[in-house]
Amino acid sequence: MAGKSVIDDAREVRRATELVELGARLQVLETETKLSRERLLRLYKEIRGESPPKGLLPFSTDWFVTWMPNIHASLFMSIYDCLIKTSELDDVDAIIKAYRLYLEHCSTHELEVVLSMTRAWRLVKFIDAAMLRRTPCTQCGTHFVMRTDDLAHQFVCGLCHVPSRAGKTKAARARRDALVAEHAAH
Amino acid sequence: MKTEQLLEEIREANLTYLLLAQQMIRQDKPQALFRLGITEHVAELVDNLSTGQILKIAGSNMLMCQFRFDDQIVWNLITSHEEDRSRSMMNGVRAAMLMSDQLAEAA
Repeated sequence: MAGKSVIDDAREVRRATELVELGARLQVLETETKLSRERLLRLYKEIRGESPPKGLLPFSTDWFVTWMPNIHASLFMSIYDCLIKTSELDDVDAIIKAYRLYLEHCSTHELEVVLSMTRAWRLVKFIDAAMLRRTPCTQCGTHFVMRTDDLAHQFVCGLCHVPSRAGKTKAARARRDALVAEHAAH
Repeated sequence: MKTEQLLEEIREANLTYLLLAQQMIRQDKPQALFRLGITEHVAELVDNLSTGQILKIAGSNMLMCQFRFDDQIVWNLITSHEEDRSRSMMNGVRAAMLMSDQLAEAA
């Protein structure tokens, strides 16, 4: 690109580097930076030591409304929304910072990382496109991710009400039983 | 605790807090706002403090850091000791979300 600022270029490379380090797929880099595909490929290989995975990104909103992913997606969106509202940030920088804070939450609370960088990015795009939105739970008032066309006035979040079909593993069963007991105690 | 000793402890806490806050703000402001729970306006004020000013503020008889929330729900969530892993996971997530949402609303 003719007349392109060197500083802008450096910023783009830094962004792309951070995104790759956090595990973003090539499609994310192509959308969020103005770098050429060839440079992005080289950068990807240099950082990860392998070629990027091929194939399309997961496209459906379904994943984000299943129980455990929804909790993680909602936590990420709370952090993202907080950063966007308190600071003047470009969307992609806010996604990077929010994702780092999300990873930090998982490691300090010994949680498995459920939301990948690519999914987190996808989530923000779905919300921008109004395919998903954040809605306050009618019981606890915390904002959770839900489909835009789902009814909000009776919405109860996955923490207040754990669906009976959430997970099929032994661990998940034990977790569910404990939660039902807690819910009944209140 | 004698008054002089108390004042000395306050001074030390203030100094540690102010220096840490300033360092965080200079390193990564958006992240610092999130961690400290302050507005950009306050962050700029703290960022611009000279060492002399920090020493002067720290030497006050009042603490310069404040409890972050007066919300009973958040206190219950962060103080609860759950044996059950998934329940403690949920409390942690909910507390983090409530704090983020509160800060976003205040901005």
